[in-house]
Amino acid sequence: MKMISRRSVLIAAGLSVAALALSACSSSSTAASSSAASSTAADSAAASEAGSTQSIVALEDLKGKTVGVQLGTTGDIYMSDEIGGSLDIAAVEQYNKAADAVQALLSNKIDAVCIDDQVAKKFIEANPDTLTILDTAYAVEDYAICVSKDRTDLTSSLNEAIAELKADGTLDAILDKYINKTEGAAGYVTPEGTEYPNGTLVMATNAAFEPYEYIENGEVIGIDAEFGKAICDKLGYELQIEDMEFDSIIPAVQSGKADFGMAGMTVTEERLQNIDFTDSYCTGVQSIIVLK
Amino acid sequence: MEFFQNLAADFVNQFEMTFITEQRYMLFLNGLKTTLLITLAAAMLGIVLGFCIAYVRTTHDRTGKLGFLNLLCKLYLTVIRGTPTMIQLLIMYFIIFGSVKIDKVPVAILAFGINSGAYVAEIFRSGIMSISPGQMEAARSLGLNYTQATWKVILPQAVKNVLPALGNEMIVLLKETSISGYIALQDLTKAGDIVRSRTYSPFFPYISVALIYLVIVMLMERLLNIMEGRLAQSDR
Repeated sequence: MKMISRRSVLIAAGLSVAALALSACSSSSTAASSSAASSTAADSAAASEAGSTQSIVALEDLKGKTVGVQLGTTGDIYMSDEIGGSLDIAAVEQYNKAADAVQALLSNKIDAVCIDDQVAKKFIEANPDTLTILDTAYAVEDYAICVSKDRTDLTSSLNEAIAELKADGTLDAILDKYINKTEGAAGYVTPEGTEYPNGTLVMATNAAFEPYEYIENGEVIGIDAEFGKAICDKLGYELQIEDMEFDSIIPAVQSGKADFGMAGMTVTEERLQNIDFTDSYCTGVQSIIVLK
Repeated sequence: MEFFQNLAADFVNQFEMTFITEQRYMLFLNGLKTTLLITLAAAMLGIVLGFCIAYVRTTHDRTGKLGFLNLLCKLYLTVIRGTPTMIQLLIMYFIIFGSVKIDKVPVAILAFGINSGAYVAEIFRSGIMSISPGQMEAARSLGLNYTQATWKVILPQAVKNVLPALGNEMIVLLKETSISGYIALQDLTKAGDIVRSRTYSPFFPYISVALIYLVIVMLMERLLNIMEGRLAQSDR
């Protein structure tokens, strides 16, 4: 008995030390990460250390800098080509998630992040005091749905649905809800009595890309999720969303693990060699996020 | 016949896309270099750390001294073994080194080394405890003090006993470094990921990465066999 009680005291002591260490750790971490949210004296001091005036104001300033991207995105493809290219950047760091790249930028590990403009805006909203977007857009691109080359019938029926939903204003309603933030915009709601005689379609996406697809209350929502739902409702399929890493989406669609991929995905020549795209449903802009 | 020709052409084409185009083999080579560097350095750090902890823990178990250090070591073991390596790596990169611009390789070495140290400590401890107390008593009665007896009598036998388990841990460590990609470190696995994200074809990048890991592990096993054989010469 004596042994046990002594040991439990030891464990309790150990745990409390651990808790102390952890709380010390987390408080310092919140100090680091909340430098975005609040501009205290310490923050401005930290900012002046890193050069309080914004050091990158134009695309040309990226020369010799390190740019963070999300692996497999067009930002990644473009920026990788810019190493020794016209922008002459020094290196590209490929993160698995856009948020990781932004986190690295916030903690001074990289100089800029290249990402789609709507997504970039969300990060700026979250860190208004520390981050900003360069005025000059880097590249304009078309988003489309990717479908396996073996399923041309699916591509054409998706195209028909996209055309119809564009014409009847459904797409605009969704964009109003997520991008223009119109008051009371309901987006798309499945009409009552919708039936799914044709079975299920699996949509591959990467739900870390607000406002196109992100997770809220455990559900994948966003422009692509809602538009995908509208398309499937129209075609009589039930929609099932599979969340995965962005660079896994094309292989998943190619190998039939998903029926189509929809993730703010840009049509590029290299991708077209491996997969088919539907007609474009949105345009995006690649923009550069830098520290203020 | 045509089918096989097509297959061969496709194979060559895929191989070219994976390795030759844009000098992608350099990605694999550099990734391999990074993986080996992280593994080697982390293994050394882990062994040094693990040995120190095992020494403290066994000294405490056998003599009852070093109570406070023993407590610290136990805490370290609990925290490190109780949390996933990937979380430790992310905490190390985004929180502990959160506000400094730092090369990622040392961060990974530190994270993996500290992690491995916890496991190596228990391996060493089991080795030291496996030597019967009679050995220590005999050494002490011959006039060696505790430290001398540990270094000259206990440890040489203990190291021999733990070699297979230690080799196991090194193999696990090598493969565990494959999560370095999460901090955008371009190790061997990330190289495969990057190439796949360019070619959209998973077969060649992943199979080659798997084969490279396999070959390294086989080399490590071979090395371990040689060491075990060498140490077994005194067994008779």
